[in-house]
Amino acid sequence: MSDTLLEINNLKKSFGTGEAKQDVLRGMSFTVAKGEFCVLLGPSGSGKSTLLNIIGGIDTPDSGYVSIGGDRLEDMSEKQLTLYRRKHLGYVFQMYNLIPNLNVKENIEVGAYLADNPLDVEEVINTLGLQEHKYKYPNQLSGGQQQRVSIGRAVVKNPDILMCDEPTGALDYKTSKEILALIEDCNRKYGNTIIMVTHNEAIRFMADHVIRLRDGVVRHNDLNETKTPASELEW
Amino acid sequence: MKNPLIRRLPRELAADWHKYLVIIVFMIVMIGVISGMYVGHDSMLAAVYANRDELDLEDGCFELSEEAEPELLEDIASGKMAYVRQYFIDKGTEEADKEVAEAVEEELEKQVTAAIEDAVRQQCAAYGITDEEMIQEQIDTALEEGFDEALDEAKNSAEFKEAEAEAYEEAHKAVTEAVDEEWDEIADRYSLEDEGFTPVPVRIYENFYREEAEDDDNDGKSDANVRIYLSGAGIDRASFLEGRGPGNENEIAIDRLHAENLGVKPGDSISIGGKSFEVSGLLSYVNYLTLHEKNTDLMFDSFGFDVAMVTPEGFDRLSSRIHYNYSYIYEKETSDKTELADMSENFLKVLITQSLVYDNEIKDYLPEYLRQASNFAPGDIESDTAATGILCYILIGVIAFIFAITISNTIDKEASVIGTLRASGYKKSELVVHYMSMPLIVTLAGAVLGNIFGYTFFRDVAVNLYYQSYSMPACGTVWSKTALVKTTLIPLFLMFFVNLIVIVNKLQLSPLRFLRHDLGRKKRSKAVRLPAWSFMRRFRLRILLQNLPNYAILIFGVIFIELMMSFAFGLPDSLNNYSDSAGGMLFADYQYMLMDSKDSDGNIIETSEESAERFSSKNLMYPKDVDVMFEGMGSGGDEGVTVYGIAKDSSYISLGDHGEGEVYLSSAFAKKFGLKEGDRITLKEEYENRSYTFSVKGTVDYDGGIAVFMGNDRFNALFDRDPEEFSGYFSRKEINDIDEQDIAVVITAEDITKVTTQLFHSVGGAIDVFKYALIVLAAALIYLLAKIIIERNEHAISMVKILGFENGEIASLYILPTAMLVVLFAAVSVFIGYALMGWVFKLFIMQMDGYFEFYMKNSSMVLSVVYLLAGYALVSVIDLFRIKKIPLDVALKNVE
Repeated sequence: MSDTLLEINNLKKSFGTGEAKQDVLRGMSFTVAKGEFCVLLGPSGSGKSTLLNIIGGIDTPDSGYVSIGGDRLEDMSEKQLTLYRRKHLGYVFQMYNLIPNLNVKENIEVGAYLADNPLDVEEVINTLGLQEHKYKYPNQLSGGQQQRVSIGRAVVKNPDILMCDEPTGALDYKTSKEILALIEDCNRKYGNTIIMVTHNEAIRFMADHVIRLRDGVVRHNDLNETKTPASELEW
Repeated sequence: MKNPLIRRLPRELAADWHKYLVIIVFMIVMIGVISGMYVGHDSMLAAVYANRDELDLEDGCFELSEEAEPELLEDIASGKMAYVRQYFIDKGTEEADKEVAEAVEEELEKQVTAAIEDAVRQQCAAYGITDEEMIQEQIDTALEEGFDEALDEAKNSAEFKEAEAEAYEEAHKAVTEAVDEEWDEIADRYSLEDEGFTPVPVRIYENFYREEAEDDDNDGKSDANVRIYLSGAGIDRASFLEGRGPGNENEIAIDRLHAENLGVKPGDSISIGGKSFEVSGLLSYVNYLTLHEKNTDLMFDSFGFDVAMVTPEGFDRLSSRIHYNYSYIYEKETSDKTELADMSENFLKVLITQSLVYDNEIKDYLPEYLRQASNFAPGDIESDTAATGILCYILIGVIAFIFAITISNTIDKEASVIGTLRASGYKKSELVVHYMSMPLIVTLAGAVLGNIFGYTFFRDVAVNLYYQSYSMPACGTVWSKTALVKTTLIPLFLMFFVNLIVIVNKLQLSPLRFLRHDLGRKKRSKAVRLPAWSFMRRFRLRILLQNLPNYAILIFGVIFIELMMSFAFGLPDSLNNYSDSAGGMLFADYQYMLMDSKDSDGNIIETSEESAERFSSKNLMYPKDVDVMFEGMGSGGDEGVTVYGIAKDSSYISLGDHGEGEVYLSSAFAKKFGLKEGDRITLKEEYENRSYTFSVKGTVDYDGGIAVFMGNDRFNALFDRDPEEFSGYFSRKEINDIDEQDIAVVITAEDITKVTTQLFHSVGGAIDVFKYALIVLAAALIYLLAKIIIERNEHAISMVKILGFENGEIASLYILPTAMLVVLFAAVSVFIGYALMGWVFKLFIMQMDGYFEFYMKNSSMVLSVVYLLAGYALVSVIDLFRIKKIPLDVALKNVE
């Protein structure tokens, strides 16, 4: 895991102006290797979601840069950024954001449609344990099941990087572990690089790479020697 | 792989079927009604114009006092003027010669008799005979024996021959002088010596008719005057809408509309001139699309006048005098109005001169292009498209508005989905296509269904409206380009562009802002501090403030609704108002327009009526000089202006002092074109290249027409008329001492009211269709607006439900403020709608000839608000059910 896929260099970002100005990122730098399971850990307001959005190309830094596979996002036009997200990224949000009038299978197909070489939708449904729910609409599913669909929509593209923004933030303990296990499986099975934003300390044990953020800067940047499977995590 | 988002479309349609149903119904009604009107217009006009060729419509007709000799018809057909002057000279000379010969013979006989008598008396005196009796005997004997010889001798004398030649010369000179004098007058009157005359060869057809009393219910009383033509005519033929033409002497076919108005059906017996006829069919004559008895009638009369067809044998059964009417068709075909005017003017010269030389008299002459009975209906149908045009543009505006708010609402609702899709790599163009699909599919479906209804049901409604007013021929359905463009292509394009602009504009926002539901363009302002009211009042006010953008949409919607209501109520009100005030718009109780200021004997037409006052008038054109705002609406060309010459110190129209080139305008003229004192206007002759420029001195309070007033002396001087010339009389009482032959038309308040009543009858049906369509559309619009407000608050309503608020309380929070605002908006919008409609109406009037003001009764204004509020009350009840149905988990689950 020595190939650098993602480079974050002296990233700065602030919101508001004058007295209300709030520096969210204050010169953040780190790298993520290809196939790595990277966890961005930090309390609320540490800038982790903003960082994720900048990596995802849906937000821009005030200064510094993000480079993926050697390509700097700041050099990309809006069209290129869209193409970059389309071909290289998968997104999993805390609040699932499924399309209400498409069923489980179709929601996953929304992701597959974007990819040149998507994974087999049925296989992904099986992997996610959604076989018996595949014709259900989102409002017929539990929160955990909806998040599985959301993961399915992201991984079916077989993206280079799977971006997960507090994927278990709205879920109970048991379901959270199941979801984490799924993400872990995907990382193992499909080799996607995972960047997961969380404030759950326990999750750091399942990651290859843990970056602790506070007040907009990297406080710790550690590689785990040994990982704990998601199913064994406790919090 | 097919885009999986496509599968959302049918599901969205099914899930939100009531919204889309309302939109589709809106589209179908709007497109159906307007398309039906256009298709109806176009089909009717197509039938009318096709029939003109198929049924051999004349180019004009003339009536002679006696049946024309074949030679006369031949000479008229040649299109050349007769040499009237020479004809008169020849005729006069012939008569003069006869008279001179007789006079000379008489004189010579007298002289020869006297000479013989003298000679006998002298001889008797020489013989001493004095007895008078004997002398007389000798004279008689001498006359008997020598008179003829003496007469011959006298005739052969050089002296006599000289005298005779002198007499003839003098007589011929007198004839020429008399003819010249007469000829100059005739030639001047009819411009017979005009060098611009070109022969107008024509084909002439006999088209004789009789006029009889028609008794439709056989009660012995006449119900109408009927003009009866012969079957088998080669010109001005009829088409049959029911039954067939007359087959024998006892059968008659009559006008379809007249028959319907009087309840006559084929197979019925009616009495014509006291003879019984069986109605074999109902027809429409190509030259009687409206039943104008006289061309000068202001309005047709489909009750009191009828046209009919009988066989030649049936014609012979009748006893009234035959009108020797001849129709003609120009050998040279043209549709150019100026050329037609020239040709008809030239043909009149041919007719006058030829009928003169054949000792026949012209009783009537009417070029087809001036015939009211065949031109009124098509003109009226064409102007009807104007009202349809206004409605079309209003509704297209409403449609654009509905779709703009619907699509904007959809995007707001789907913000998270859009954000996620964009973050996942969906391109803007893919989302634009996706979000545009549904409105376009709905519009397309509405357009297709609307057109199907437009070409069937609503087309029939439109066509039937015309059948109720006019004697139209049977018509098929024609493809209407206008309908396609205005009711389908424009809404589709509008739909496309409105959606494109709204969607593209919305999608400019970053995916992140969609994910955060941060779709506002402006930064949030600080929360407003509220007074220490009760919690519920403050809560309600907060909701109201929070929904301000939605209420802005609502007020626009309410303005649109009131605009539609103003159209629905204001148009009939305006017509009624015009009809009611028409009587008061006349200058005088009676306005007599004369054929000429002199009668056929050249005497000035006078009256003993004390209140009568002469006036002059002339029609000129005022170039509108405005852009045609709405293509296909009305003439858009020049405005016809009546120029009046008013007597000095007139008791009917009081004009102030005005110098040369200064005129007064009717208030209608000033209002329509925004003219005021000091402005300059240029009026031009319609068929000549002459124009007159005037300075506006003031206005005359007259809303009845577009008119210009000046002193009669100035009028006559300006238009090169004789100082004593005039056009007619204004009068407060009926004038009975002017020969009817000399009167072109009499206008009274009753005539004006008749015109407006007929107008109302003609367009009333269409207005009713519009009115009900608009009420349905207004209800649909308020439903959509109210739905949007509840939908946008769905999340919050779900939340307050979770918190334990009851449905009643929620209604008081969400429905009550909306209801209060709807009442407030309605009260304000009724005036805005009225003002907007007034403006739209003015644009529409600018495209039309004449003027009448937009007017709406106070009761109609109230009613338009009541309709709106009643509609909203109904929608509120639906909203209550909507609130009840909002599930609690909307706020809990993040199901968009």
